[in-house]
Amino acid sequence: MPKVTIDGREIEVERGENLIEAGKKVGVQIPHYCYHPRLSVVGQCRMCLVKVEGMPKLQTACTTQVMKDGMEVKVDDPQVQEAQAGVMEFLLINHPLDCPICDQAGECGLQDYSFKHGQAFSRFEYDKKRVYPGRERIPVGPHVLLNMNRCIQCTRCVRFTEEVTGTGELGFFQRGARAEIGVFPGKQLDNPLSTCVVDICPVGALTSTEFRFAERVWYLDKEPSICTGCDVGCNITLEHREGKIRRYKPRANPEVNDYWMCDYGRGTFRRYEETPRLTTPLLREEPQAEPQRLAWSEGIRRLVQQLAALGPEDTSAFLSAGFCSTEEAYLLRRLADAVESPHRGTTLEPGEVRRIPNPQGGIEGREAAPNRRGCELAGLTPGEGGFSATDLTEGDAAGKCTLLVVADADPGSRLHRPETVERLRRAAFLVVLGWGESPLSAVADLVLPTTTHAESDGTYVNCEHRLQQFERAFPAPTGARPAVDTLLEVLAVVDARWRDLTTAEVFERMAAEVLAPAEVSFAGFPARGLSLGDGEAAAG
Amino acid sequence: MAFEPILTRNVGNPDVRTVAGYRRAGGYEALAKGLATEPDELIEQVKLSGLRGRGGAGFPAGVKWGFIPKGNDRPKYLVANADESEPGTFKDRVLMEHDPHQFIEGCALCCWAVQANTCYIYIRGEYVRQAEVLEVAIADAYREGILGDNVLGSGFRLEMQVHRGAGAYICGEETGMLESLEGRRGQPRVKPPFPAVVGAFGCPTVINNVETLCNVPHIVSRGPEWFKQIGTDERNTGPKLYCLSGHVERPGVYETAIGATLDELLERAGGMLGGRELKAFQPGGASAAILPADKRAVPLDFDSLAAEGSMLGSAAVIVMDETTCLVRATRRLAAFFNHESCGQCTPCREGTNWSEMVLDRIEAGEGSAADVELIRRICNNMGGTTLCALADAAVGPLRSLVDTFGDEVEAHLAGGGCPLPERRYFEEAARV
Repeated sequence: MPKVTIDGREIEVERGENLIEAGKKVGVQIPHYCYHPRLSVVGQCRMCLVKVEGMPKLQTACTTQVMKDGMEVKVDDPQVQEAQAGVMEFLLINHPLDCPICDQAGECGLQDYSFKHGQAFSRFEYDKKRVYPGRERIPVGPHVLLNMNRCIQCTRCVRFTEEVTGTGELGFFQRGARAEIGVFPGKQLDNPLSTCVVDICPVGALTSTEFRFAERVWYLDKEPSICTGCDVGCNITLEHREGKIRRYKPRANPEVNDYWMCDYGRGTFRRYEETPRLTTPLLREEPQAEPQRLAWSEGIRRLVQQLAALGPEDTSAFLSAGFCSTEEAYLLRRLADAVESPHRGTTLEPGEVRRIPNPQGGIEGREAAPNRRGCELAGLTPGEGGFSATDLTEGDAAGKCTLLVVADADPGSRLHRPETVERLRRAAFLVVLGWGESPLSAVADLVLPTTTHAESDGTYVNCEHRLQQFERAFPAPTGARPAVDTLLEVLAVVDARWRDLTTAEVFERMAAEVLAPAEVSFAGFPARGLSLGDGEAAAG
Repeated sequence: MAFEPILTRNVGNPDVRTVAGYRRAGGYEALAKGLATEPDELIEQVKLSGLRGRGGAGFPAGVKWGFIPKGNDRPKYLVANADESEPGTFKDRVLMEHDPHQFIEGCALCCWAVQANTCYIYIRGEYVRQAEVLEVAIADAYREGILGDNVLGSGFRLEMQVHRGAGAYICGEETGMLESLEGRRGQPRVKPPFPAVVGAFGCPTVINNVETLCNVPHIVSRGPEWFKQIGTDERNTGPKLYCLSGHVERPGVYETAIGATLDELLERAGGMLGGRELKAFQPGGASAAILPADKRAVPLDFDSLAAEGSMLGSAAVIVMDETTCLVRATRRLAAFFNHESCGQCTPCREGTNWSEMVLDRIEAGEGSAADVELIRRICNNMGGTTLCALADAAVGPLRSLVDTFGDEVEAHLAGGGCPLPERRYFEEAARV
């Protein structure tokens, strides 16, 4: 592999690697606008000009490939700095500089690079900047608004629709200083990934209809997480403020969602706003009675009581819908083991097909729940002679149960269809662990509030059997408790070794049990997740 | 020394527009001779002749042909650049209109040399008449066995097609032209890869100007040594068409050996319009730096003009007399580049726009002393920083305005506007 020296730092790179990527590897940031690792290289913003030894003119780093040993590149160089300042000046002369009312402010390429590479004054002395009358807030699609005045004509969005989605709704029209971005006549930017153009737009030209004016981005805290919209498990940055998720942004993982995520997934956090939260354990002594609010110690005691009361002729069942974390599923299964119940299962939640392009050709989710495979991996599958999830949700199995514990279940789950609720309700005692009010929690004998994936740590296994980790972004509302903690407390009554474990420790116990050959720790979890092979053998 | 016309020898002889007529004038003998020569030998002859591209960049044609990779089965193309969009240029038009078969013969020889079986002639949309003449000539050539499956019975297959552009300056840039030819938005590509490796439809492609190709039959029939005798020196060889326009008595296309001086051209064109004094001239189209009158004795060839900080370009010599306001003239050129920038590269898109605004302000008497420095900075930030040469072209006249004709700018700044009375060239010309 050829070696290249950038600002005195030598690095070996793949033959054909461009200088922007090579720079990243040695910690030299080469500023750029039009370049994006997944889009064709057009070299037109001219922000990434660098000095290459032996070349008469400055070269664009994005188009310059390292082909053989000995290339010497200078980024920290007066000539390069002058060129960068020149490009910044050109970009800003006609820019409205309306940062105070621009949604992009705080995460804007123009702001960042002006600060770093620009100059503090303008030589542009005209009253009139170039404007595009009537093109300041055009809805180019259901999720995206275009403000042409802010556009720097980098054409990333155009190339995205041509090369990534293949839908080609956007085009570059007119030429020269009048060049503008637009949708082709009669078209709308309405492909399933359309909001990605907002992510890749380096300025405030394309903004999200949903997020617009919702929040100033510098108030947002960010945590790596996983989208729960389907079983693709797009890697996301969960952006939140004061205990509320404000938006999801894709987090690059070439093995899964690459740089993208779908519009549907972006909106899935709204279910946490739309559904009233459960914040205290509830006990319903009579079927139709108002539930009684319990203290947590009492809530746990009631569940322990039910478990302890199980006699040899009693039947208990444990059901998940694939929304809970692998750790929760694992503990639920250990609970089933503790009472020697073979009746455990995970329902399949069919969903719309969600396709995300990635370098392997793409990944396709077909289920509405993020973690059916994780639940199955953790052992929430019927034991010998046990009821399956289908027996419980579509058959008459629940009616034979003395105790039925249903973990999780988002309000969108099929578990909440009236006929399913009615079947599950046939159990003598129904326990529901859930974070939000739902038809099932409304009829349960005992309700134990849990947390959302934003409020707890855990892992999911996606449709390609990749184990992925998410971390707690903010604390749960008062009264809600991570299901891991609740289940551990119940298990500790039987076996003290389960007392006071962390999710990480639960994960490691589970990993030791079900991922036998794989060595992985929760703290040192691989950033791109852990592929479990084709997984079918392990997960069944 | 009287110059025997070479490229324009058939102008005024409408007979040559048919294959039969062209043959009577000695045409297509070079093609027959060329087809009997090994392709590599042909490339070698063109290299030896020293023929440099007549489109503007002056790149040696034979060297360009030599870049085409040999010995693979990918199709190869010749795209003849008949976009002729440089302001002040109208020589290719004459060649295509008056002697289409000389051009077709040149194309065919080039195709044989690089083993291309397809030739596209990319002609600017405004050249309606010239495109028609070419279409008729090509149809005739197919009938006469000059084009088609068996060129002159040699077994060589050659298809030729006229492709009309839609009138963008940038489509004269070779990769912008390829994009347009392929049916996309005409804007230059990232280079490398160069068209010789990845050109039209992803295949190796030679792109040559019409006048360059028209020289080829003469090199083949009369030999590279003969060709090298014509011109200033061995780096500037062959005949050259100069497009004389502006304040001259008889504007038009004049053929001489390359390296004529402005004075020699003016003499043939009947001198300055109305006998007035020369103030400045652009030797190579709108993109060339404007030269002052005292450079009138500089040989108009590639290297002599480069040494003067200007260029031969397309040899569009635009003559400006004492009544010309150079601020206004430059402003007009800046407006052209602003209009024609494709909009891809930031420095060009914004720089051409901004420079027009600054010149507007100076011409209107609202400029300030800082504007001169500002123009220099815009030039620095635009020059050499873009994908193609359009930004450099825009810088040419701009820089010469502030560097060579700074006193004119000063006069505008001091006098609150243009000191010269407004004159309209066309009215003037009509009166004379």
